Amino acid sequence: MAEDLVLDTAIRDWVLIPLSVVMVLIGILRYFVSKLMRSTSQVPDLKIVKEGQVIVRARNLRSAANFIPPKSFRARRVYFSNEENGLLHVPKGQAPNPQAQMFSDPNMAMDMMKKNLSMIIPQTLTFAWVNFFFSGFVAAKIPFPLTQRFRSMLQNGIDLSTVDVSYVSSRSWYFLNLFGLRGLFSLILGEENATDDTQRMMQMSGFGFDPTKNLGAEKDSLDIIQHDWALPKFEQRAEKVLRNLIR
Amino acid sequence: MAGHNDSSVSEKKSSQAVDDLPTFSAENMQNNMKVIYYSRTFLSIIGGVIAGILGFTGFAGFIFYFLIMAITSVGLMAKAKFSVHSYFDSWNRIILDGFLGGLLSFVLFWTFAYDIVHIF
Repeated sequence: MAEDLVLDTAIRDWVLIPLSVVMVLIGILRYFVSKLMRSTSQVPDLKIVKEGQVIVRARNLRSAANFIPPKSFRARRVYFSNEENGLLHVPKGQAPNPQAQMFSDPNMAMDMMKKNLSMIIPQTLTFAWVNFFFSGFVAAKIPFPLTQRFRSMLQNGIDLSTVDVSYVSSRSWYFLNLFGLRGLFSLILGEENATDDTQRMMQMSGFGFDPTKNLGAEKDSLDIIQHDWALPKFEQRAEKVLRNLIR
Repeated sequence: MAGHNDSSVSEKKSSQAVDDLPTFSAENMQNNMKVIYYSRTFLSIIGGVIAGILGFTGFAGFIFYFLIMAITSVGLMAKAKFSVHSYFDSWNRIILDGFLGGLLSFVLFWTFAYDIVHIF
């Protein structure tokens, strides 16, 4: 344990606070830029929209299944998931390869790239900016002790092994901000902020954004659903509710 | 927090929660979840600033965080008039959801306030 370092108040005024403010402002800027870029040229593919609507309908059927009689439910289920011409049934081999689809449709690749760029460019720029102006400062001190393992994480940019681990270099403060401000952004920008967008994109690329797979999954969950008509029990339910009311 | 809650938790669910049959409106439910998320994030940020200004270090700060979250849970419960099942499908929603999600925000703002007030 090193004894307490004395940090200059100028570091607070010219490093810690500006860095944090800039991170917040850049996050807001990125949100609006990505919003602007997204709103241009949105012509959805007819087939994808159609499949999406089918999925929504199937989901509605699934969630409201208990409110229709068994016969009607079965008829609807067959309509969605029978093996010959059900709406959710995807014939084998006809499923389009998402990769090929992406290459055939330059717009899609373009869109992905735009989203990527709107994420990566500000981050690289801020990182370069932080590196250029603030490299090598001990900018902050976290108020709890940590083990030596965190040294590379928290003291990125200063190569001193004698400084206590809880001191944070400015570059690491930047990283802390990058991850920790997500909550603040969701408060000031609303639910659909830019950081959420990245998560969705990761999901997309991870699952290999494939509408036919969604259809298949929806079909499976529709197939296994247990149907239990609720209406016969509704008289008791109504009785209970009314009794509660007069009580 | 009160503003958020006023606008949305007070939307009455279609369910009266007297039966075992789950009749929830998915949109309202999602709205309620969002309210919980917002309240927790907001309180973890505010709690972080308070902890920093009061100068908590080490373990005390984390205990303070859990205390704040527990208070949030109680507050949400009171807002739901202690009839949780007419607004949420299970107790876990109120008690556990987003419990650790705010921790990173809390630590960040704790550090920020603590540094500004105490170490320089």
